[in-house]
Amino acid sequence: AATAPGKKITARLKRTLPVRGPQAPTLSELMRWYCLNTNTHGCRRIVVSRGRLRRLLWILLTLSAVGLILWQCAELLMNYYSASVSVTVQFQKLTFPAVTICNINPYKYSAMKEYLSELDKETKKALETFYGFSEGKSKVRRSVDDWNGTGSDFFQQIPLLKVEDFSRTATELHSGQKRRVEGSVFHKDSSIVNSGDSNDIIGFQLCDANNSSECALYTFSSGVNAIQEWYKLHYMNIMAQIPLETKEKLSYSADDLILTCFFDGLSCDKRHFTRFHHPLHGNCYTFNSGENGTILSTSTGGSEYGLHVVLYIDEADYNPFLVTSTGAKIIVHDQDEYPFIEDIGTEIETAAVTSIGMHFTRSRKLSKPYSDCTETGADIPVENLYNKSYSLQICLHSCFQKAMVDSCGCAQYAQPLPPGAEYCNYKKNPNWMYCYYRLHEKFVKEQLGCQQICKDACSFKEWALTTSIAQWPSIVSEDWMLRVLSWDKGQKLNKKLNKTDLVNLMVFYKDLNERFISENPTNTLVILLSNFGGQLGLWMSCSVVCVIEIVEVFLIDSLSIVLRRQWQKAKKWWSHRQRARAGKAPQGSDPERQGHDNPTPVSIDEDLPTFTTALRLPLPQDSPLPRTPPPNYSTLHLDTAFTEQLPDTLELGQH
Amino acid sequence: MKLKKYLVRALHRLQKGPGYTYKELLVWYCDNTNTHGPKRIIKEGPKKKLIWFFLTLLFASLVFWQWGILINTYLSYNVTSSLSIGFKTMKFPAVTVCNANPFKYSEVKPLLKELDRLIEAALERILQPENSSDTVSPPLDLELWNQIPLVLIDEQDKDNPVILDIFETNQTAVGNERGMDNETRKKYKLAVKLCSHPGSENCTYRNFSSAAQAVTEWYVLQSTSILSKVPLHDRIRMGYQAEDMILACLYGAEPCNYKNFTQIYHPDHGNCYIFNWGMDEEALNSSNPGAEFGLKLILDISQQDYIPYLSSAAGARLMLHQQKSFPFLKDQGIYAMAGTETSIGVLVDELERMGYPYSDCTMNGSDVPVKNLYSQYNTSYSIQACLRSCFQNHMVEICGCGHYMFPLPEGVNYCNNEDYPGWAYCYSLLRSSIKQRQICIDSCKETCNDTQYKMTISMADWPSEASEDWIFHILSYERDMSTNVTLDRNGVIKLNIYFQEYNYHTISESAATTIVWLLSSLGGQFGFWMGGSVLCLVEFGEIIIDSLWITIIHLISWCKGLQQRRARARYPDVPPTVSELVEAHTNLGFQHETGLVEAHTNLGFQHEAGGAGPGAQALPPEPGTPPPNYDSLRVQPLDTLSPDSDTD
Repeated sequence: AATAPGKKITARLKRTLPVRGPQAPTLSELMRWYCLNTNTHGCRRIVVSRGRLRRLLWILLTLSAVGLILWQCAELLMNYYSASVSVTVQFQKLTFPAVTICNINPYKYSAMKEYLSELDKETKKALETFYGFSEGKSKVRRSVDDWNGTGSDFFQQIPLLKVEDFSRTATELHSGQKRRVEGSVFHKDSSIVNSGDSNDIIGFQLCDANNSSECALYTFSSGVNAIQEWYKLHYMNIMAQIPLETKEKLSYSADDLILTCFFDGLSCDKRHFTRFHHPLHGNCYTFNSGENGTILSTSTGGSEYGLHVVLYIDEADYNPFLVTSTGAKIIVHDQDEYPFIEDIGTEIETAAVTSIGMHFTRSRKLSKPYSDCTETGADIPVENLYNKSYSLQICLHSCFQKAMVDSCGCAQYAQPLPPGAEYCNYKKNPNWMYCYYRLHEKFVKEQLGCQQICKDACSFKEWALTTSIAQWPSIVSEDWMLRVLSWDKGQKLNKKLNKTDLVNLMVFYKDLNERFISENPTNTLVILLSNFGGQLGLWMSCSVVCVIEIVEVFLIDSLSIVLRRQWQKAKKWWSHRQRARAGKAPQGSDPERQGHDNPTPVSIDEDLPTFTTALRLPLPQDSPLPRTPPPNYSTLHLDTAFTEQLPDTLELGQH
Repeated sequence: MKLKKYLVRALHRLQKGPGYTYKELLVWYCDNTNTHGPKRIIKEGPKKKLIWFFLTLLFASLVFWQWGILINTYLSYNVTSSLSIGFKTMKFPAVTVCNANPFKYSEVKPLLKELDRLIEAALERILQPENSSDTVSPPLDLELWNQIPLVLIDEQDKDNPVILDIFETNQTAVGNERGMDNETRKKYKLAVKLCSHPGSENCTYRNFSSAAQAVTEWYVLQSTSILSKVPLHDRIRMGYQAEDMILACLYGAEPCNYKNFTQIYHPDHGNCYIFNWGMDEEALNSSNPGAEFGLKLILDISQQDYIPYLSSAAGARLMLHQQKSFPFLKDQGIYAMAGTETSIGVLVDELERMGYPYSDCTMNGSDVPVKNLYSQYNTSYSIQACLRSCFQNHMVEICGCGHYMFPLPEGVNYCNNEDYPGWAYCYSLLRSSIKQRQICIDSCKETCNDTQYKMTISMADWPSEASEDWIFHILSYERDMSTNVTLDRNGVIKLNIYFQEYNYHTISESAATTIVWLLSSLGGQFGFWMGGSVLCLVEFGEIIIDSLWITIIHLISWCKGLQQRRARARYPDVPPTVSELVEAHTNLGFQHETGLVEAHTNLGFQHEAGGAGPGAQALPPEPGTPPPNYDSLRVQPLDTLSPDSDTD
């Protein structure tokens, strides 16, 4: 009576829910039982069919149905991760994108004089020596006389060479001496050299400062490219040594650049623009950068309601070697996107009105496992050097910069500085140019692995631009327009603005339809299960219940039957041995021989029989009294609702 | 009584089998249903029975949950999009060409003469205040000026800006200013003064950061007021005529001329000409890509005849749009520059959407609550037309007159300074009102079929220097029948408009979830978890009906029992009525069965080892003589299990 309540409960559970073995004593019995009672179609046919051929046919059909189900379900599983595209168009108030505007010329040439005068002199000399070009006749003699007198830094570091291709000899510009070209030759313009062309090729040689025998010669088919590239290398060296504050002063101020501004039918001024210093384009100004917390939006499309600016780009103050075109450059981008103006900017002509109609599209891809894109860039092992949200371009640039700092020890000028690094210049890193060109070569040939590491972003916004140009100001309005604009600029009235100094730009939404292209998963788990159900049902009228049945019958029951048989064998063997020892002949009934007529479970288990088992129980053998047979009235009742059930059980009982 | 009898008979007929109690019914259902789970519950041993019971419940709830998800998915009306790209014979787009300048200056000069003199004088004063008083000019008509004056605002002191009227207070203001240097003068800004009535205090100043904008804006307001009084046919006459503007036209290999263009009056751009608008004749098809098979136009915009203060940009304005739609050049138009050849490759970008309930768009605009004013042009609905109509309706409502840039509703006049002196004030308030725009955005719907013409624009100088002479000569001769060259580089424009190699890009929507999809998914779910089908649902419904019957019968018999007891209380020994006897008889067959089933199920549930099997049931457990009374089999249940006693 002192048993614990836990034990009581378990005892009770054992009593009410006793463990019983399988329904059939042998495997074949079990199979037969399964086939007759299973919910799937097909199996029953196998058992019920008469004749070997028919049975074989049914076995084959059932097996092929199982095969088909497995195949189709595998197909369904494999196509689970597929996406469908949906396009929605919504007409709504749209946020205006950020518009970054730059002058093509980065710094005022007049202000840069003190930094660049040496370089420009050298460049002019080079032009004169190679091509006989001179700006003014009087200057020519003098500059040539100066030639040997001053030691020219720039040519010593990176000499410009005239290469004769066949002999592989180069004439050095500075000393005029010929020498053999060693090392590899890279042609920047094209990979194939026109060997039939006897024209001299101009280029420059970059050597490893530590190991002077290792040199690379870069050649160009046109002197224009060679001079510009060469100039740019030196220019970057010089600029890298100037601190940012000074550079910002050297470049254009908002007042310099922006003459008039008009947005959404209202006047705007320089306060709506945010300065952004770009290493190659100097001071750029971003309209609607969202830096002060508010992002402008438009609720009307059309050219009247967009951004309308007139820019003053002082053409006379352009650097003649660095930039050879005139105008402005703009890029339309999202507020948290970095403007890669050197890569994807649009150039704007002077003395014309450029109307840019925008059409907004937003796209969204599904990330893993549907496609290989990244949501935030956090899973990319490249540090984002830009203070903006992730994009493929940012990743590639950051990756290159990192490789540059790792292998050359300094950072490239055109990209932001990683923490703890500084920009390359000759003084500190005499070797950097050679290193940079080598690295860039590798980067372009995808040997740095950046292209493999960097993934594209999953969602992106795109403004499709339609650009068209008209003449501005028109002939008849030119006069007053220029006068009034000069007044705006606050200049003296005698100095009128020139129309080639002006850029007129309109950026507007063509319509306020936002197109949103998104990927959606085609399949959800619910649909996958539905499809499974459809397949299972179509071929075999099967369901999860059948699967459970199969597990039950083929794994649990048959295993227990096998185990039981083994156990009995062992027992038999043991009793044989004992009997052999005792010398007694085996007696009694083999429980197995009794078959289903006297099922072992009943004798072994303490279980009370269920209704179905009870039906199969024989009449008690030890009924002591003879009885009159029971009146067979009950047969009348068998023709009722239970007729379907009873024959089954009776049939079983007869076996 | 009759009712009950009838009901019982009906039940009898309806169901031969399921039985008279809930339990019986349930067991019968479990045993005979086609759903996979329930059969197991009654056919297995006790432990498995429990497992199967919970499994069946679990699966049933899973099925219902997933059905809920599926129905929700269906009701969200998702769409899938399919994209097709290629080339096919398509309708060539309608091409609208306009001059950027609305009227010939030589024609409108008499109207705008005063205005031009005013602005010239004003500019003179603004730009050269030192010697402005010296210039002698005929007296200015200041009436126009005073309606909407331009003022100078000195915003050095933010809190109380100094406002200087250019003409009136010039003596004192300029006198004060004279001593200042250029540095301070820069601080002056131009503004347009707008008052609700002339001379009233209710004024606003529209500030401009640039004088150029202020002058343009002012001029537009004034000229709008003047031109709105001019009748339409005069305005058309003052604009550019088709034969002057369209010099040459070639469509594919077929020549065309200005007569192939439909004239339309556009408030921004004066006379516009539309090629292939499809209003009168069938739209032209183009079945070949490339510039050879497109439209080639040579236009003259005669830049010398521009109105100097109205439009500062010179060029042609053109737009590609669908047939029978109104060209909204300010929104979708592009410029073509004079002295160039502009090539435009066209790709038709179509978006075909399903209407309600899949997306909120309109097929033809009939369900939009805004009166479409552009229907007077006989054009189809578009979102731009809706927004403009919405604005114009608001304008008419608030300011009492219509804006010159938009079509007029019936019985309303255009605004002008004489009749509606405060209109500019009213208009500028309305235009900058965010609320008004939001109302229009909310009430207009986009169209379901959205067609855009994506253009690839390229430009080259035209005519080349070598060919310039003879081209101008021929074109001038053809136009004016004279040998004088009347054209120059600043006027001529060449246009090529053609289909690209791939000329369409169609995104069409189709329903992602149809009713067929829903049914097959529902069936799949039901089949997957329980092997069920619609028939199983019917079975279930049948069972519910059966149980309802049983309930009804129980209720009736309970009522009857109550009645009987009352009657018995009054007359203790009442002989059974005929209906009772009938009932008892009709019930007998079932009653016995009930007993049998009960016995079976009892056996199954309680595991009475002694009384197992039908044989055992027939045999009484105790030894003795077999029961000879065969009738007892029938009578017994009547006593113990009659419906009456059940309810007690």
